[in-house]
Amino acid sequence: MNIAQQIVNGLVLGSGYACVALSWTILLGVARLVNFAHGQLYMLGAFVTWYAMTKAGLPYPLAILAAIIALGLLGALMQTAMMRLVMTQNLTSLMIVTLGFGYVLQGGSALIFGGNPQTLPGTLARAKVDLGSLWFTWQDVLVFAATLLLYGAVWLFTQRTRYGSVIRAVAEDPKLAELFGINAKLVYLFVFVFECAAVALGAALVAPRSPILTSMGFNEVIMTFVVVVLGGIGSITGALVAGLGLGLFIAFFGAFVAQAYTTAAAFALLLILLVIRPAGLAAK
Amino acid sequence: MNRTINLAAALLFALAAPAMAQDIKVGTIFPLSGGAGPDGQTVTNAVKLVVDQINVKGGLLGRKLVVVSKDDESTPAVGVSRANEMIAEKADVVIEGWNSPVTLAMQPILARDGVLDITAVSKSDLILAGETNPYAIRINSSNGFDAAVIAKYVVGTLKAKKVAFLTQNDVYGNGFQTAVEAEFKKLNFSGEIVTTEKFAFKDTDFRVQLTNLKTANPDAIIVTNSSNSSGLPAMVEQYRQADVKSAFVGAVGIMLTTVFKVAGEANNGIVSADIYFWDLPPFNGIAESNAFAAAFKKAYGADPDKSAALGAAAVQVWASAVEATKSLDRKTVAEAIRGKTIKGTVFGDATFLPNGQLQPRYVVFKVVDGKNAKLEALPQN
Amino acid sequence: MSAIEQNHANSKPVQRTAIFIVLAATGFFLPKLLGGTSVAYSTLTTIAIFAVMCYGIDIVLSYLGEVSLGHTLFWAIGGYTAANLSVKYGLNGWSTAFATVALCIVAAGFLGAVTLRTREFVFSLVTYAAAVVGYEIAFNWDAIGGSDGIVGISALKLPFGVATFSGATQEDLWPVALTLLLLTLVFIARFRRSKLGTAALMVQMNPALAASLGIDPRKVRLAVFVLSAPITGLAGWLYAYQRAYVGPDMFETYFLVLMLTAVVLIGRRILIGPLIGTAILIAQQNLLSLGGDWNKIVLGSVLALVLIFWPAGLVGLFRNFGNVGLKAKE
Repeated sequence: MNIAQQIVNGLVLGSGYACVALSWTILLGVARLVNFAHGQLYMLGAFVTWYAMTKAGLPYPLAILAAIIALGLLGALMQTAMMRLVMTQNLTSLMIVTLGFGYVLQGGSALIFGGNPQTLPGTLARAKVDLGSLWFTWQDVLVFAATLLLYGAVWLFTQRTRYGSVIRAVAEDPKLAELFGINAKLVYLFVFVFECAAVALGAALVAPRSPILTSMGFNEVIMTFVVVVLGGIGSITGALVAGLGLGLFIAFFGAFVAQAYTTAAAFALLLILLVIRPAGLAAK
Repeated sequence: MNRTINLAAALLFALAAPAMAQDIKVGTIFPLSGGAGPDGQTVTNAVKLVVDQINVKGGLLGRKLVVVSKDDESTPAVGVSRANEMIAEKADVVIEGWNSPVTLAMQPILARDGVLDITAVSKSDLILAGETNPYAIRINSSNGFDAAVIAKYVVGTLKAKKVAFLTQNDVYGNGFQTAVEAEFKKLNFSGEIVTTEKFAFKDTDFRVQLTNLKTANPDAIIVTNSSNSSGLPAMVEQYRQADVKSAFVGAVGIMLTTVFKVAGEANNGIVSADIYFWDLPPFNGIAESNAFAAAFKKAYGADPDKSAALGAAAVQVWASAVEATKSLDRKTVAEAIRGKTIKGTVFGDATFLPNGQLQPRYVVFKVVDGKNAKLEALPQN
Repeated sequence: MSAIEQNHANSKPVQRTAIFIVLAATGFFLPKLLGGTSVAYSTLTTIAIFAVMCYGIDIVLSYLGEVSLGHTLFWAIGGYTAANLSVKYGLNGWSTAFATVALCIVAAGFLGAVTLRTREFVFSLVTYAAAVVGYEIAFNWDAIGGSDGIVGISALKLPFGVATFSGATQEDLWPVALTLLLLTLVFIARFRRSKLGTAALMVQMNPALAASLGIDPRKVRLAVFVLSAPITGLAGWLYAYQRAYVGPDMFETYFLVLMLTAVVLIGRRILIGPLIGTAILIAQQNLLSLGGDWNKIVLGSVLALVLIFWPAGLVGLFRNFGNVGLKAKE
């Protein structure tokens, strides 16, 4: 058992989970909005990046930017449509609406981008790093670095800036925040746009690892769910710790037990944890 | 006298007209959308092509053939709906099946209403198990036959002493591995199976398994991965990136067009086997295959692969049996296929076992140029 | 008109029973009226089964106001129980149905208990996680079917003392499906008027009032959830006999989205709403299919648009038109 390599594997997998989970946990924590279209947004982010690189000839960094902007705009549209439900905090309807949106995105993407698998050329996914006997790619390094940077930036923003405290206020008690003159609508809009933009970034960085299909999405973000609940809903540090931790767990469970059962193991772990500690790892 | 002649003519006309107007309906149910959409589309296209070829030659039993194609969306519940629609539309035969669960769900529906059901691609052994459908026919090879070819190569040609498995964790993958292990026993394999790594069909990241395999360092790794659109190409690339030195031996039929398109050069050196290649012997010597390949290239702009051949053969086998028995009855036609040999298909002579399984002919190959899908056939002694 | 108000409106039990009997009889002969073909029978049976499946989630969504994303778990429990017990042990329909109900209650009880101390929407997440775990178990555990599932489920056998009903063909299964549907409708109708039903509605609409009346929302949620599980479970039970094949596909989102759309489409707390919704969706899939991708777009749009613009469902839309008409008359 190559322990060192499995640790590297775990960190690579984990940074991917954490990167994709950040946006979901913030949205859930601030707006109590369970975005079931997260997986399809991930898929769309990957395809916009692909389209920008292969059809529009943009270099990778610009393609990432294109994906972020495109999905940000889409997010604004979606949130505007859902605004009434968000303001009345009609959580059940919101959940179902995002499920519906996810379906529309899936069908629409299949019609626009087709059903064939595509690869993203021009990324660092094939640039190998050999550190002694260890191996990983420069793309893995990029994902890891970007994840840490993103978490750091978001943490600083929410904990150290005025805007951050506005968002936290709305998260705590939207009605009270409105009494203090905060425009909750704008906050929700901003958070949702951030969610879409962040998942686009995550997709642009993580998706190049393997071929992309318009039918993907659900499976790619299923671990997000575990990361968010394990780390504590809305907790930024929690999501990072849980993401990396889950990656390491998966690597070692797969190495010593059986890789094929990792999803079952992760979710069983989740259920057990929810029984013992309903608030997740980061109890408020 | 005139009135009698008129009456007779009118009667004749009345009797003849419906018979002439009745087209024979060939139904197809394959995934046309979703992840397996492009694959299902290929099979359906091949069916349509062969049907056109038959119509050009005058049709079947003097009647024209018409293809009714439906999308099962790789979802068993949808497949069941489509099967019911086929029954309502009075299809004379249904050629179906890319995903085994969809086939297994549709079988009882079609069998209950007496519609002949030919499974083109789905690999589950349960399809030919008999209880649900006593007249089942399957064109694609079964795990049992596949295992023999791969085992023979690994033990006989490669003479591997240490073997490992990288297996998709479902009935298909596990079944294939069990069959290979059984073949090893038959061949008195003197080496050892050092390790087995498994993964889920939907997985696209295999670092953990590849790390374990690299540590075990077998001579050959037998890989069973049917996710030709995402998992398998990713696995091939990661295999090369991880610098695994063991020989990559792929299970029968997994190296489809998409794997070459996506993984390109990383495929170089992979050894596997399949049941049809339009440009390799013995198929490039079969007249029907060459005609089909040329027509397919002309109509769809691509060379036909194994999936297309399966669709084509399904139609050809059925049409032959119908022509021979002059009947469209399910039992009659099925019994003219099961346990019999049908000549003139893209596979050449198609011999069926009594349980409806087509006996495959294999080509063992090595990938010499992955980017252009150039293969070198290996001898199978 | 809410369910509470409807209690007083429908206070003519004889009239209601008569209407009910007439509808039941019409329903029984409906396939014959539509041609009597095996396809007519199988389509109507499918609609009936899927409608019962929807009613399970309907109780939780319409009356409790929560989204259960794990009802496919009970659907699958029903299917797998019927398949395993009848194929492996040759048990008859009554035994498999009883086992289904028991297992669903246990599963729902466990899940509900887990969420007793969590926040509202975490309930949805837990049910979702349960469905995923259920899928993984069903997929990987070869003893109960594995990834290819169980084939060759024999016909439904319901012994009635002297005679045995055997549901070998689609025609035979229709009376069973119709009976199950009618029983479900009666059950829901009684639930709406029961103490638990009104308590659930109160918890959804006016939590403060509920609290002041001493109603514990979490216990109510647990009770309603446990009550809803066997309904969907029995639908899955019958589905196994109809399809003669059960597999991990029972967990697919296809069924979940179908359930949610059927409930939401017509309007909540309307007794025959899920039934009509199911019929419309199945009809669209079978008769007006636009291809897999467009179907997804249509289904997703319907789900999203109905909830955004007409949260009360299509019925709300008609009510608006009705109100406009009334206003115009004045």
